[in-house]
Amino acid sequence: MSITEKILCSKSHEYLLEDDGNYIVGLTDYAVEQLGDIVFVELPEVGTEFNKGETFGTIESVKAASEIYMPVSGKVVEINEAIADTPEILNEDCYEKGWLIKIERTGEDNELNDLLEYEDYKEELE
Amino acid sequence: MVKETYLHEKHLALGARMVDFAGWHMPVQYKSIIEEHKNVRENIGLFDVSHMGEVFVIGKDSQEFLNKIVPQDISKLTEGKAVYCQLTNKNGGLIDDLIIYKLKNETYLIICNASRVDEDINWMSLNQKGYNINLDNQSHNLSLLAVQGPKAIDLMHKLGYTANQDSFTIIEANLMNIPMYISRTGYTGEDGFELLVINEYAEYLWDKLLEEGKEFGIMPIGLGARDTLRLEAALPLYGNDLDENTTPIEASLTWSVPKDKFEDYNGKKVITEQLQNGTEKKLVGILMLDKSIARHGYEVYYKGEKVGIITSGGISPMLDKNIAMAYVKNIKEICTGAIIQVMIREKLHDAEVVKRPFIEKRNRIKIRR
Repeated sequence: MSITEKILCSKSHEYLLEDDGNYIVGLTDYAVEQLGDIVFVELPEVGTEFNKGETFGTIESVKAASEIYMPVSGKVVEINEAIADTPEILNEDCYEKGWLIKIERTGEDNELNDLLEYEDYKEELE
Repeated sequence: MVKETYLHEKHLALGARMVDFAGWHMPVQYKSIIEEHKNVRENIGLFDVSHMGEVFVIGKDSQEFLNKIVPQDISKLTEGKAVYCQLTNKNGGLIDDLIIYKLKNETYLIICNASRVDEDINWMSLNQKGYNINLDNQSHNLSLLAVQGPKAIDLMHKLGYTANQDSFTIIEANLMNIPMYISRTGYTGEDGFELLVINEYAEYLWDKLLEEGKEFGIMPIGLGARDTLRLEAALPLYGNDLDENTTPIEASLTWSVPKDKFEDYNGKKVITEQLQNGTEKKLVGILMLDKSIARHGYEVYYKGEKVGIITSGGISPMLDKNIAMAYVKNIKEICTGAIIQVMIREKLHDAEVVKRPFIEKRNRIKIRR
């Protein structure tokens, strides 16, 4: 099963991927493609809690700064340290090397209902 | 209605990402802004800048008229020469910045910003009374292609160009049997040429330049890299760094303003006063000391006090650092080497005031301090 078959996507282009009881949050390939060269990523500290839809970080491309939003409510348990020094890994591979944060979900299950499977997300974009 | 240049189809075919810019549907990048930027510094890049405005000023009084509307001394401009100018209002504020070319006696070409063509024409018309001139806006009939980078000259030679032009000159020439104006100007901080042709020749010229330029590593370059290139060279951008409430002196364009111009011009009183007594604000170059990026509109602080605002900011692909330009209070403490702070998402980030341009003219990978 490829990664895109396992992720759920938000309409603001973040993805959620279950990982051993926790969840990985990142940016979809579509978002990364649209942003172009990514040069700086600002991520929250481990332990911070966010509600669904809240800004948890910022992505700077050459052109502009864009906020990134929580696809579900959660508490940050790990951040991708490699991103700080090599933000370009997001352009190379946004799913495996270029993930952003790992969270413990704190919201209700119905929060997942607003998220789309990758195929449906892609369709919405067209 | 968004306008398209005669090269629109070419951009789409090259897979460019397109954006609306100043009323035009323009390529922002073909591949990667950083890659395109570096290619212009190291090899050669091709830009479609046909969105820019071209206005001819023709007639017996054209020199006097131009002398009235810009602080620069047009009577010193000789045939075939070009000069960087500002179109100023009565308060010395910038309506636009432009390049004026003297094609021949009583015939001048103005190249101006796409976003300002209408305002420029309007302002010039208002000032036209009493002058025997004709303003001929040819923007819709002409295409402008820029070939920029250290190898631009090699490509031009290959195409049969033999003129030995200085920087800031213009000639009328035939290149590959295409009649055109060739000027040695640009907006990248590199050596290069701008080729002005009637629209019908644009596609052929574009294709030829890309094809013949292959051996020199030519790449098409979008507006994204055009912006990072001009920022690294500390060239101001109208709408970002320049506006109607800012004078050329405040914009640190003093080098371009003659102190001894005899003729009266719009804004002369204010500009002369500022040349003598200084200004409240000044434009400075800024180097970020961490990885954060300063953007247009961010606030600038010095010792806890708000002292200014960022006008342009972004990355410098050649320095691999982040740079910006800002208007700050004109006090002597805020000088080269001073540490200031930029407010980015509610946090202050240290930055250093540095000399502009951010890159050396010869060795483009060192900072001038």
